[in-house]
Amino acid sequence: MKRLLAFSVLAATIVASCATTGTPGPSASGSAATGAHPKVGLVTDVGGLNDKSFNSLADKGRKDAAAQLFVDTSVTESKQQADYVPNLTKYAQDKYDLVIGVGFLMQNAVWKVAKQFPNVKFAIIDGAPQDDAGATQNLPNVANLFFKEQEAGYLVGVIAATMAKNKVGAATHNTVCSMGGLPIPPVDRFIAGYQDAVKTISPDTKILNGYSQDFVDQQKGKEVGLKHIAAGCDILFQVAGGSGLGYIDAAKNAKVYAIGVDADQSAVAPGTVITSALKKVDVAVFQTIRSIRLGTFKAGDNSFNATNDGVGYGTLDKVVPADAKAAADKALADIKSGKITPKDTVQVK
Amino acid sequence: MTQLQQPATTGPGSESPAPSVRQLTFQWAGGPAIPLLSVAIALVLGAIFVLLSGKDPIAAYSALIQGAFGTPYDITETIVSAIPLVLTGLSVAIAFRTGLFNIGAQGQLLVGAVCAGWAGSQFAGLPGVLLMPIVILFGIGGGAFYGGIVGLLKAVRGVNEVITTIMLNYTIVAVMHWLLQAGPMTAQNALGTPASTPIGAGARLPVIVPNELVLFSRLHAGVLLAAAAVVLFWFLLWRTPLGYQLRAVGLGSRAAAQAGIDPARHMVLVMAIAGGFAGLGGMIEVSGLFGRVYDGFASSYGFDAIAVALLGKNSPVGVVLAALLFGAFVHGGAYMQSHAAISSNLVAIIQSFVLFVIAAEALVRSLTRRRRRTPKPVEAIA
Repeated sequence: MKRLLAFSVLAATIVASCATTGTPGPSASGSAATGAHPKVGLVTDVGGLNDKSFNSLADKGRKDAAAQLFVDTSVTESKQQADYVPNLTKYAQDKYDLVIGVGFLMQNAVWKVAKQFPNVKFAIIDGAPQDDAGATQNLPNVANLFFKEQEAGYLVGVIAATMAKNKVGAATHNTVCSMGGLPIPPVDRFIAGYQDAVKTISPDTKILNGYSQDFVDQQKGKEVGLKHIAAGCDILFQVAGGSGLGYIDAAKNAKVYAIGVDADQSAVAPGTVITSALKKVDVAVFQTIRSIRLGTFKAGDNSFNATNDGVGYGTLDKVVPADAKAAADKALADIKSGKITPKDTVQVK
Repeated sequence: MTQLQQPATTGPGSESPAPSVRQLTFQWAGGPAIPLLSVAIALVLGAIFVLLSGKDPIAAYSALIQGAFGTPYDITETIVSAIPLVLTGLSVAIAFRTGLFNIGAQGQLLVGAVCAGWAGSQFAGLPGVLLMPIVILFGIGGGAFYGGIVGLLKAVRGVNEVITTIMLNYTIVAVMHWLLQAGPMTAQNALGTPASTPIGAGARLPVIVPNELVLFSRLHAGVLLAAAAVVLFWFLLWRTPLGYQLRAVGLGSRAAAQAGIDPARHMVLVMAIAGGFAGLGGMIEVSGLFGRVYDGFASSYGFDAIAVALLGKNSPVGVVLAALLFGAFVHGGAYMQSHAAISSNLVAIIQSFVLFVIAAEALVRSLTRRRRRTPKPVEAIA
């Protein structure tokens, strides 16, 4: 017994001595202490860095900035809801210049922390500071990074409509459809732009829309997909995160086409995913970090759109004909010049 | 009853027929070798992982420790992270003590959170003196109801509690999606965040560390409720006839039945009590941290609790210490990632090693026993 105790004490001492030798710890972060470079901290939501969506795109923007902009950056993953406030607070306490929170789940946490650190700049992707009662409260040190999703939706809508109208490949029924996770504004803006494009380019194309009521469950997305395909749909646009992967899967099994969302999802199902409606979170993060460098940081709403390359369309599958690509590029130019303003309300519910 | 003294006293940790505070500390002191050893082994294995990924394990662990205890703020945050684990840990531990495996602390915590959140917003106008007890009772009651179902199914139909608790964990997650995404509890203006309407000011647990002392501290009065729960756990198990009976059932339900204790009744009771502890944990998170119920706010409290209970050897002091260790992992892990660029998943790896080593306790025990055999050591500690 004694020996065992001695052994555990020894083990504890080793652990403890490791601790003491390393106590001047933050220097491990090295360059962050040099002072000349602005320091930028990124806090993910519970999706984590490998979500192949918002968080990983935001981290890509952070890494791009670290490589090109002479800034010192760092990232913290949040494991649960209760981590948001301490993770944001920690960067602010360590006198970071900019702290970025990923996603609307952090709206209340950003409000809480940013209010306490008026001298630290914050940014929140896809959201705005939200007080305890749930009301939006803009703060002078918080940039709200919003996207014109309807523009990305419009671009892929142009491609879908052109293919449906000309009955390209498997798209034989002149019917296109879309599925959202929940009918919340950022989702509906994608769908609104998509429908607007279809109605403009090919007014006689039938449009269907549905919701999986979920952002995670693939099965629910698949069920909606099967229903849409049974109704004659052969181009399926998903705006439902993980649930949307089930929607794409339904398209793949039926050998029809799908359109991805947020990130470039061409690799999810090659030959099925004809393109993706891109929401370039990486560009938004990069540009916000750049604004710290340039001193052009703007609190309140910041819009990322076609003009500043904040949205776009992704890799085109080889089935997409040249005239569809040309139509999308023309629409992109028209959106940039202001000739087209895609609608942001859903017409076909 | 005299018959029962025999099995009770030979049980792990029970040293004298008249248990005391001293006995409890003794009980922990008698058993810390294996928990400490398993943590040490887990840390060494974790260090190997860090080395394999080309990083410096000393930098990793010093960042972990500094992140968890480096400043007064960090210490308060470590405690904040530990509070739900203390309560779910007690929940799992009391079930273990009665011979049941409660994997449902997660679900019981969520039900407690939902019930407390509902009561907190439903009666939001009431003054704190009235509202706070109501919210606490709803939290405990919700968890107790959810745990009680499991005990009842086990007692009446013999349904394995492992299966039912796992299933009920899923059930409440689905119910929360419905309640909070577009259901009766959903906040009007949550801007797309699935959450409930906020609870009244009187239902909020106040921060007990003043800002002048620790700036930005979130350490709330939930820590006092958790402490009370720990004392209650001890008192119930070692100071009441009921606790004696529960432990007797745990040590051998057939022997207990022989002695006139009804194991079925006690299964229902202990699962309700276990659920009550976890439900209180959910209430504390809602009232102390969020002020409302967020969909999916607790990812792993109930599952980490199994490791906490095992590591703490199902004793009150052990559960508190194990919860603090895991709380330090949670809070320090984030700092380790941001300041030593080591994935906070290392923490998950270490935690699973802890669990693995504890599960392999039999193996460790056989190793230590062999070592112990040669020189006969003095057994007395106290």
